[in-house]
Amino acid sequence: MITHELMLLYRVMPKPELVTTLKRTAETLFSRGGIIRKLENLGTRDIPFKISAHGVVYKQASYYVFTFNVPPIAIKDLLDEFERDVDIIRRKIFKQNSPEFKECTLHEELQPAPYRKSVQELIAQARKLDKPKFNYNTGLDYYPFQK
Amino acid sequence: MFSYAILRSKLPSTTRLWTPMVRLLTSTSNSTNVPLFDMENPFEKEKRKCILCQHNVIPNYKNVKLLSQFQSPYTGRIYGKHITGLCAEKQAQVELEISKAQKSGLMAVYLKEPCFIKDPKLFDSENPIRPHRFE
Repeated sequence: MITHELMLLYRVMPKPELVTTLKRTAETLFSRGGIIRKLENLGTRDIPFKISAHGVVYKQASYYVFTFNVPPIAIKDLLDEFERDVDIIRRKIFKQNSPEFKECTLHEELQPAPYRKSVQELIAQARKLDKPKFNYNTGLDYYPFQK
Repeated sequence: MFSYAILRSKLPSTTRLWTPMVRLLTSTSNSTNVPLFDMENPFEKEKRKCILCQHNVIPNYKNVKLLSQFQSPYTGRIYGKHITGLCAEKQAQVELEISKAQKSGLMAVYLKEPCFIKDPKLFDSENPIRPHRFE
């Protein structure tokens, strides 16, 4: 099951209005068979760049993150629905990051080029394109007959 | 090697032309003066790790303060791995998370936000470790 994160930028509005908007968003998620795992408030602040949405230019926004599960088919519909919501300035749905950790490969990357695995693979790939050379199978390093 | 094999067959088995080095070592391995030859290379350098792997940091698009440390204060562009000194995996992760943060309106695109300008520097952008990111 994929857990998604919905990043939402609401326009700045008074609290009761914001509550109804948040409820509306949550109900949209529920109506598509979703489950909300977490709702984070990242605060109200200036946007780093001005955003034009629904014919208005916004310079401030309230940031909210919904962490939720939903059937994958519903993602497109959700985005479509949020796009039509006048209170939402911007919406993005991302997959939640998995906390798996891989070994650091910096040491191998700092080796001289011929020792690096990626370079060796490239060379091997280039060798495959070499034209086949006829072999006489005489065991001699010269051609024994007159040419 | 070939000529030696012929000679050996002519000589009586007790006589020896030369004693192999390995034999000598193994026969005297009980004495304490002989170094152990099956030990690991004592001069091998310690494996280097990039700064994010050292501290077990997984970049996230919501952590804008960390991500903006990889951004140029002059142009807002992301520094390449020849400057940041990250491993390929982490560099790709950082670049992906920065693009996510910028798309979701958390991070500036054409500049580094003024509140992050005085943050400590993770690397020296003036002196890249390699001339370009393709080497």
